[in-house]
Amino acid sequence: MTVTEQGLLEREKDSMTLNMGPQHPSTHGVFRVVLEMDGELVDSAEPHIGFLHTGIEKTSEAKRYVHVIPMTDRLDYLSPPGNNLAFCLTVEKLLQTNVPERANYLRVIMCELARMASHLVWLATHALDIGAMTVFLYCWREREMILDLNEEISGVRMMTSYIRLGGVAQDSTPGWLQSVRKFIEYFPAKIDEYERLLTRNPIWMDRTQNIGVMSREEAINWSMSGPVLRASGVNWDLRKQRPYSGYENFEFEVPTGKNGDIYDRYLVRVAELRQSREIVKQALKKLPEGPYKVDDNKISLPNRKTLKSSMEALIHHFKLVSEGVSVPKGETYVPVEGPRGEVGFYIVSDGSNVPSRVKLRAPSFMAIPGMCKMMEGCFIADVVGIIGSIDIVMGEVDR
Amino acid sequence: MTSEEIIEKVKADQGEAIDSSEVNLGDAVIFIGKESIHEIAEYLKKDPCLDFDYLSQITGADYLNEDREPRFEVVYELHSMEKNHSIRIRVGLDEEDPTIPTVSDLWKGALYPERELFDMFGFNVEGHPNLSRLIMPEEWEGNPLRKDYPLTIEDVTFTHNREFKQDLVKSKPPTR
Repeated sequence: MTVTEQGLLEREKDSMTLNMGPQHPSTHGVFRVVLEMDGELVDSAEPHIGFLHTGIEKTSEAKRYVHVIPMTDRLDYLSPPGNNLAFCLTVEKLLQTNVPERANYLRVIMCELARMASHLVWLATHALDIGAMTVFLYCWREREMILDLNEEISGVRMMTSYIRLGGVAQDSTPGWLQSVRKFIEYFPAKIDEYERLLTRNPIWMDRTQNIGVMSREEAINWSMSGPVLRASGVNWDLRKQRPYSGYENFEFEVPTGKNGDIYDRYLVRVAELRQSREIVKQALKKLPEGPYKVDDNKISLPNRKTLKSSMEALIHHFKLVSEGVSVPKGETYVPVEGPRGEVGFYIVSDGSNVPSRVKLRAPSFMAIPGMCKMMEGCFIADVVGIIGSIDIVMGEVDR
Repeated sequence: MTSEEIIEKVKADQGEAIDSSEVNLGDAVIFIGKESIHEIAEYLKKDPCLDFDYLSQITGADYLNEDREPRFEVVYELHSMEKNHSIRIRVGLDEEDPTIPTVSDLWKGALYPERELFDMFGFNVEGHPNLSRLIMPEEWEGNPLRKDYPLTIEDVTFTHNREFKQDLVKSKPPTR
């Protein structure tokens, strides 16, 4: 303390360095941020990543295309079908194949269910970080139902690997479709329940409104994507802007926010829960009959029943299992809209059955510098709120 | 604008700076030299008809196994939020001097992918405010995504095999 000329006491600036993570529960994995604090205010935030680096991009360069699909599950582990789809669409673009209509619909249903599950995990943990325990339990209850649906169709609860080259792993059963129908009839009442707990809750509003604000121009310049970008008022959803997998056949809205604060991101994601449910409902209604994978035995395995009677099917089966798919030389990039934003694979093929380079464009990775920019000047108590509102998944940040 | 129109427009305005261009599977792709990347990037961002205000990603690629010149490549993927079109810029980089100017003054989103290029490929991004390791630890040696970096290698733990192991690290790896 020093005394100024007017006789007032003035505090000398003395900053404190505070380490947060990588084991902090609110960092959603192993994210470490070093905060330079001035009292209770954050001066600057320096992120440290790489604790979950598993070298998936490097490993992909030694695996056949089909073997990369299970690894893409582990990138954004809260929404595996979104990553599968991005990878398969990129390889299919290089192969120049079109998948059957029914496969597209099944892909859309799985991706939207995964989006719901992912947003439920986000809402659960985000609310828990800010102090709302009940929402956590409610959201987990509904997410469990989606995981059961995953298990029923693919045999696995989380890492489904359901979307494959040229279609999907297996056809849906009438019983599964009935279970999905039951779930989407049950779900809207539950979204209302979460909203009753949070949307007009004064504590929630105090903790989220006008905090972590990012303007439209900033959000674009810092390469934010997905709900964060839309909450800042940019109407950009790849499902609408660059329709893939038949998203042009569905009617849905793209919710956008105005202020770009934590509260708007919350509203956008909750609105997306409803829109995803709407898409699944339409997809179930319009689900066409037909094959669930391409009828090209160079890309997808022949029907199991034909193996004992058809020599050609047996040869194709053997070749495909032992050698895999050979992809024409070239490089391409296909982005899709994942729950966190633009997920895309840039794949370089040298003409063989192994990719020469696989690069994931991960929305969480691109959002980290922007997130630390948001933290500057906010209170330390709001740091966890900001991290939660971006919804980072460290699996795809560190790859 | 369609991909063909974008290519035509860019060629008409910046013809001499562009080495070649193509429409690859429906995407507009331009090939440029590393000395003109910043100038072209600025033009693409500021031109009102093109308006590429969003940097989607920057990635590197190593073409060691294909025997082509130059060995490395940096790929930029740009979107326009208003106009809803995209372009891909591919820049070749020599093995001897993999240096490329930064574009992080135009798009802040380039800060992290450029650091990743430095970390994983060892490219020297000129003008980057904080060029340091991002994903690998600070003290790490080598650049993992280069093709001559082996996929798996055991740590040298014994003295009797150290020389053998070091040769293995330096030699081209059997990646497949």
